Amino acid sequence: MSLQSDSIGSGEEGLHLNARQVVPVPAGAVPVMEAVNISKAFGATTALVDVSLKAYAGRILALLGDNGAGKSTLIKILCGVFPPDRGELRFGGEKVVFANPAQARARGIATVFQDLAVCDLLSVTRNVVLGREPQKGLGPFKWFDVKRAEEMARSALLQLGVRWERSLDERGVNISGGERQSLAIARAMFFGSSLLILDEPTSALAVRQAGRVLDHIAQARDQGQAIILITHNFRHALEVADDLTVLAQGRVAAHFRRDEIELEELTELVARVA
Amino acid sequence: MAQGTVQGANEAQPRRAVVFGELARRLLLRPESTALAAVVILFVVFTILSPDLFPAKLTFISIMAFAAELGVLSIGVTLLMIGGHFDLSVGAVLGLTSYVATVMMRDYAMPPIVAALAAVGVGAVIGSINGFLVVKFRVHSFVVTLGTMLIWRGVVITLTGGFPITVTIPAEFRAVMSGPLPESWWVLSGFRASMLWFFLIGGLGTFLLTRTRFGNWIQARGQNEQAARNLGVPVDRLTVMLFMLTSALAAVSGVIQVARFASVDALRGQDFELQAVAVTVIGGTLLSGGYGSVIGTILGAITYGMIQVGLVLAGVPGHYFRTLTGFIVVAAVILNTDVARRMARSRPLRGFQRSSAASDAAILAQRREAGDAGNLAGGAPIESATPEPRQ
Repeated sequence: MSLQSDSIGSGEEGLHLNARQVVPVPAGAVPVMEAVNISKAFGATTALVDVSLKAYAGRILALLGDNGAGKSTLIKILCGVFPPDRGELRFGGEKVVFANPAQARARGIATVFQDLAVCDLLSVTRNVVLGREPQKGLGPFKWFDVKRAEEMARSALLQLGVRWERSLDERGVNISGGERQSLAIARAMFFGSSLLILDEPTSALAVRQAGRVLDHIAQARDQGQAIILITHNFRHALEVADDLTVLAQGRVAAHFRRDEIELEELTELVARVA
Repeated sequence: MAQGTVQGANEAQPRRAVVFGELARRLLLRPESTALAAVVILFVVFTILSPDLFPAKLTFISIMAFAAELGVLSIGVTLLMIGGHFDLSVGAVLGLTSYVATVMMRDYAMPPIVAALAAVGVGAVIGSINGFLVVKFRVHSFVVTLGTMLIWRGVVITLTGGFPITVTIPAEFRAVMSGPLPESWWVLSGFRASMLWFFLIGGLGTFLLTRTRFGNWIQARGQNEQAARNLGVPVDRLTVMLFMLTSALAAVSGVIQVARFASVDALRGQDFELQAVAVTVIGGTLLSGGYGSVIGTILGAITYGMIQVGLVLAGVPGHYFRTLTGFIVVAAVILNTDVARRMARSRPLRGFQRSSAASDAAILAQRREAGDAGNLAGGAPIESATPEPRQ
């Protein structure tokens, strides 16, 4: 494998519950991103009704819910794919309207989709710098700065504590699903995202790999990143999240701080509301 | 930290056999390996079949003349295919732009250089139409360019009336585009100038693909369009530019042919579209896009030229040309399909494996600096790291 976890945390012993103390959101803290009473319908189908959520710097908000609960619609609204019918988005406390995903990206909203993160036949370096390739050159003639790109990839992985064993330059990323997610997270962090939206980052992963990705997510949070984590897996949500929002049939069914709920309660709750 | 590495103490000088083994491993993972093998094998086979005729300079000149005209056009097709698109209209575009160049020289008395540039410009415009149709209507480029191929071929037939149009080509222009290189060029003397254009454009194409941001985008677009889009790659602009480049290179091939034949006819460039795909595929580019090589295409074009010339010299009936080419295309596709899996499985040989000690140490240093070594998510400190078993 070319990328590995530094085996801090759960890589070896499987999943464990997060030992970090959850603190309440400090009074007066402004959310990085806030959705206020968002509603959205597609024709006769109601997707979201009065959904509100807040994502804070240095906190992970887990968004839970069954298929069709409205998670992906909400995410698409947050990252500018389509606008809400009613309600508004606030970025750093100020109202924003995204006409397209590029505008959301320009605000530093980075979304890592499950299967759409990495180009497998490009090198790790080229994946990290994709879309922001460093260049050097003379006047209008510019070319790819290979050395600088490798430094950037190295720092991006280092920042998240991702270990690399193979040359970052070798063609073919050659990594497992978990490492792909970690690479995508590292990339988003490195280029200074203000809000990181992770869409089912652990759903296709084996336990051990999922543990590593969750460690990397926690590491990103500890560096002050605001994160929204969409997941089916309550266990994963409880492991790293600070706050949990449960969506059911397009509405917010429940909202907790992580230390306010146990796995059994949460499982039961989701089963009940779905 | 040494215990956290796989190789650690074992990283002394690798043995020579290992060095060759590692070189072979890296070579086999390159897209060009199939085409390189084809060139070498065909060379040996044809030399055995016609030992007096094949390994001769005149033969190489013929091979390269053929390879260059098809190859310049194929380089565009290759870049486009790596970007995830097809262009079936290149042959017709070659015909139409050849017509433009010929008529501008003959009827409007334009200097050849102006006519040539005009032809390339017309090519770029035609390419932008292909690109626009693909981007705007989200139609598969295979179908769009199938349509434009028929359209432009029809236009060429109409314009020429089906007859060849001849033109007087100034000697200097012919010499620069496709004439034999002079005596003073030593080994290169006698080879056609088109070969130099072919290598020059091949070099530029390789640089573009592997050493520019544009090249990175081409590969990313071909592998995972959505990922590229999500990361802010201007995918639509990229697509239009690729189509423009492809048609412009078809025009360059056209100009080379006009300079050589001093004429254009209604069927000029026909079949080039599929030959270019064959050459590209032999060169190791994946039909599905995302992965490929311009150098491979250069070797693919040479393979194509060798088959054509070699069979004639071996006294084999001409129609076997297609059959043999077909076999090589199929073999190349089969060998190349597996490339992603081969790359995923391949590991450096012992002695070339990168130790992770450097990255471990860097991570640890970073943690120490931040003052929270190993204090993440309730995890163990990094010193207790155990190596990941290799798969």
